[in-house]
Amino acid sequence: MASVRQKKTPRHGTGVQDPGFSEMVSSLFGGEAGKRPGGAKARMPRAKGVLSEIYRPALFSSLALVAYGLLVVWSASLTIAEASLPRQLVGVALGLVAAVVIWHYDYRNLANYTTALLIADVILFILPMVPGLSYSAKGMAGWIQIPGIGLRFQPSELMKLITIFLIASVAAQYNGKIKAFSDYCKLCGTLLIPFLLLLTQDLGTSLIVLVAGASIIICAGAKKEWVIPTIILIVAVAALVIFCSLTPGLPNILKEYQLKRLIVFVDPSVDPSGDGYNLQQAKIAVGSGGFLGKGIGHASQAGQGFLPEAHTDFVFALLAEEFGFVGAMVLLGLFGWLMFSVVRLAQTIELPFGKLVLVGVVAMWAFQLLENVGMCLGIMPITGIPLPFISYGASSMVVQLSAVGMVQSVYRHRTKAA
Amino acid sequence: MELGTLTIVIIAIIALAAIVAVLVVVSAKNGRFKVDIGGQTPRAAGGNDTSSETGFKGRIAGLGLAAGGVLAVLAGRIWAMQLMSGDEYVKQAENNRTRTVTTAAPRGRILDRNGNELVTNRPSLTVVAQADVADEEREIVLLGDLLGMPAMAVKRKIQDTTEGAQSARTVAVDVPRRVVAYLEAHPDLFPGVTVQQRTQRYYPYGTVAAHVLGYTGTVSPDQLKAPDDDEGAIQYESGDITGQAGVEYQYESVLQGIRGEQQVFVDANGDVTGYATSVPATAGSDVELTIDINIQKAAEEGLLHAIDKAHALNNKATAGSVVVLDATNGDVLAMASYPEFDPSIFVGGISNDDWQALSDEASGYPLMDRAVTGTYASASTIKPLSALAALNAGVASEGSTYDCTGFWTGFGEAYGQYCWDHNGHGIMDVRNGIVFSCDTVFYEIGKAFFESDDKEGLQKTYSRWGLGEGTGIDLPGEAVGRVPTAQWKQDYFKDYSAEDRAWRGGDTTNLAIGQGDILVTPLQMACVYMGIANGGTMWTPHVLKAVGSKEGNGTLVDYQPSKLREVEEDAEYLAYVQSALEGVIYEEDPAVTAHFSNLPVRVAGKTGTGEKAGKDPTAWFCAYAPADDPKYVICAVIEEGGFGSTSAMYAVRDTLGAIYNSPDDATVTSSASVR
Repeated sequence: MASVRQKKTPRHGTGVQDPGFSEMVSSLFGGEAGKRPGGAKARMPRAKGVLSEIYRPALFSSLALVAYGLLVVWSASLTIAEASLPRQLVGVALGLVAAVVIWHYDYRNLANYTTALLIADVILFILPMVPGLSYSAKGMAGWIQIPGIGLRFQPSELMKLITIFLIASVAAQYNGKIKAFSDYCKLCGTLLIPFLLLLTQDLGTSLIVLVAGASIIICAGAKKEWVIPTIILIVAVAALVIFCSLTPGLPNILKEYQLKRLIVFVDPSVDPSGDGYNLQQAKIAVGSGGFLGKGIGHASQAGQGFLPEAHTDFVFALLAEEFGFVGAMVLLGLFGWLMFSVVRLAQTIELPFGKLVLVGVVAMWAFQLLENVGMCLGIMPITGIPLPFISYGASSMVVQLSAVGMVQSVYRHRTKAA
Repeated sequence: MELGTLTIVIIAIIALAAIVAVLVVVSAKNGRFKVDIGGQTPRAAGGNDTSSETGFKGRIAGLGLAAGGVLAVLAGRIWAMQLMSGDEYVKQAENNRTRTVTTAAPRGRILDRNGNELVTNRPSLTVVAQADVADEEREIVLLGDLLGMPAMAVKRKIQDTTEGAQSARTVAVDVPRRVVAYLEAHPDLFPGVTVQQRTQRYYPYGTVAAHVLGYTGTVSPDQLKAPDDDEGAIQYESGDITGQAGVEYQYESVLQGIRGEQQVFVDANGDVTGYATSVPATAGSDVELTIDINIQKAAEEGLLHAIDKAHALNNKATAGSVVVLDATNGDVLAMASYPEFDPSIFVGGISNDDWQALSDEASGYPLMDRAVTGTYASASTIKPLSALAALNAGVASEGSTYDCTGFWTGFGEAYGQYCWDHNGHGIMDVRNGIVFSCDTVFYEIGKAFFESDDKEGLQKTYSRWGLGEGTGIDLPGEAVGRVPTAQWKQDYFKDYSAEDRAWRGGDTTNLAIGQGDILVTPLQMACVYMGIANGGTMWTPHVLKAVGSKEGNGTLVDYQPSKLREVEEDAEYLAYVQSALEGVIYEEDPAVTAHFSNLPVRVAGKTGTGEKAGKDPTAWFCAYAPADDPKYVICAVIEEGGFGSTSAMYAVRDTLGAIYNSPDDATVTSSASVR
């Protein structure tokens, strides 16, 4: 039974059976929503109809995450001057507008614009290098400032979404089974372009693109005989790059700070004042949170400045310190709700392009969650990847809400006819 | 880069790759499996390609599995960190935000016997800097301008590690309020520079009694690690101020307070954000000394007077000391040493230049407390003991007489020895031998011992009177001196021929007049004269009178006099020697007598003039008063002071003048130059 109906049941008092618990749980994650187009009705211009064109599990979970994020940012703003709740609210507002626009837009049109998407990626990559637009914050390149309104934006964030559409549009052509090796190579080559571009700017974002793109390719039907050697190749290249960078005399491909972060990941005591210190402080913040946390405003680690970037990259450590194990589990639960409901939707959507877009979005969230939270826990190396919906920063918020908009667009345009 | 790290990185990458590969295989398998099932399922009417549909299904399920795996891994790790090892992290977080700030406890004061403050504490504003400020050239120049010091001096102070490598470096002490206000108003100009409210040692009487009081300095590495085995011992921190000499050193454990501890909350910059528990500092206990400030001052002035007198007679008179004991209990009433030093230059850390100056030979080692650590040939002041030895052993009697011709040839012409009076004293008995300090009498006594069965009878007597042995005074570094014996000579001159090392008759005769290899400290001789004055009873000399209790005006410890030794001597012989010592003052030389005649009490004493090759003689004067009921024992030594009666005597006389409030009004100088 679909959630859409379930809620109506008591009101109309029809003979429809009460939903069982398993169905209720199932409905939380979308149930059979994609399969059963109440959508026919949904296109009608009724108030109820608008609601029925929204994939509610993804909406509720993402809005819950945004609300949770606003709470965390507000608590961070109590002690961290740079964290400003109004600015974050602006980001949320912009993100919601973007999400609504994307929701309305029929994403299926994009399937035909492969070349345009690729060009968009390249343009986004070039933007920060355009004089007058480029803006550098905290030594991190890759930002632009839109002249006049002073709005700063990180185009690489947007590249993630464009790339998801790009790879999904190429991969969808094979309708679930990539038969020719050349097609596989073409897919990988397409992914390689944004990946390599981003790699020169920001290792973290490029890895997100790689993971999201690779997930799409794998789900699009790549043979494991190809995929496994590809992964081995990637690992070998990565190992070679690290080896070169670590060995004096060979070219240093990695930037120094990247190398340091890797070393610190292996042995945090190497650099107790820099990244090693950050990692150590993040772990202390998380660990000292305990079961219920120290409460809002009582985080000694984040509040007294021991934890750097407590409102951005290390926001999870702040969250875990203030809200404890319970708060961390709520966060993971909300993400689980969001990701599983989108996975569920991907299962039920018929159009391969839609499926693959959703796959890319879920892979992006999963990887960002793993990387960002894992970094605070010391199980992933430190990178500058924000925690979706939670970390302070408008770029990330807009892009993540846009991703939710993509999910909603896929849901709204779930019938086969375009 | 170490190879170990590299290996670990590579292993980590391989492990990660393996995990990814397994995930892929699992998801791919699911896909295949579903594909087969899909093939057997009847196609739906819509003509959907269910095979590809189910292929998607398996793979997307794999993605869900991966997402679930991410959540599970994270949740597991959070569980482990927050719930399993949360306590450890809580402790680390606490360590992060709490610091222990210790506050120095004021040292106890040092008082004289009447409660006058000899050493006390005064508040002092001190500018300290972190070690890394030494690299900030601009800041150093600014600081130098502000403090009125050359920038180089500021830099040197900051680079100085004597207060401990980790501790802040003292740049300037006793900084004016104006400077403090400026520093506090401009913290941005002076990062790493702070003002501390400290207490400093203060010496209301300046250099008076400096040698007894000693001085303080930064805790030495030895002191830092020493007290671990002792439960109640003070745990020092690097940079602590401890006693380094004198009473400050001797009673360090009493004077030193217990540091206060304050737990503070700090932020990441180390700025204090709040206060937690605190334990206040406990001040050290006050120490009351037996020193009488008036007698002490008189002794020091007398010492300078004696040195002046010696200079007037063209003696170098480079150094000297005076000891005043209470004969009835061993209290040290005064102890003076020259050259003196100013203990306040050690406050806030002594500069290298000052330290060099104080340790330099040319300055005459002013830090040395000559009363306790200086050793000299006793010269004629030992004659009373030689006489007692002779009377006891029977080598001489009260009726023995000797003919002094000025040149004694008891061991043959070749080994002749002069009496100090080359003209000769004529017929002398033992008493006159002491009164006129006639060497011939004691040469004879020495010869008699040398030729008797008890060859070392003299040495035995000296030893019975405590020579060659510490007095046990409660001051650091006491010298024991030396009573030479045949065995000692054998051992000491190892590199010489057997003949040269052999004990000769001349050694014994020299010893009898206190010349040669005998070495005594002024304090030892003071104790000897205390013993003579008391009829054999010697009290342990001591400077501690009481330790004040921490609360109120009571005392924690009151010093109880302890007997150092009771020398067994025939009372008749002692009386004989005592009378001889009175004779020294009143019979020997009218010029000496004149100096003592206006005192309300009779004095007994003995001069001494110690020969030293190539140097002016060491001048001695030991005395006690009143002669009939001894209370004060005074012993003075002037290095290269010439004759005892023309230099050291003045120090003794001036001190007695202060005690009995009857200054020396005689202007006559002894012309006979009695030794």
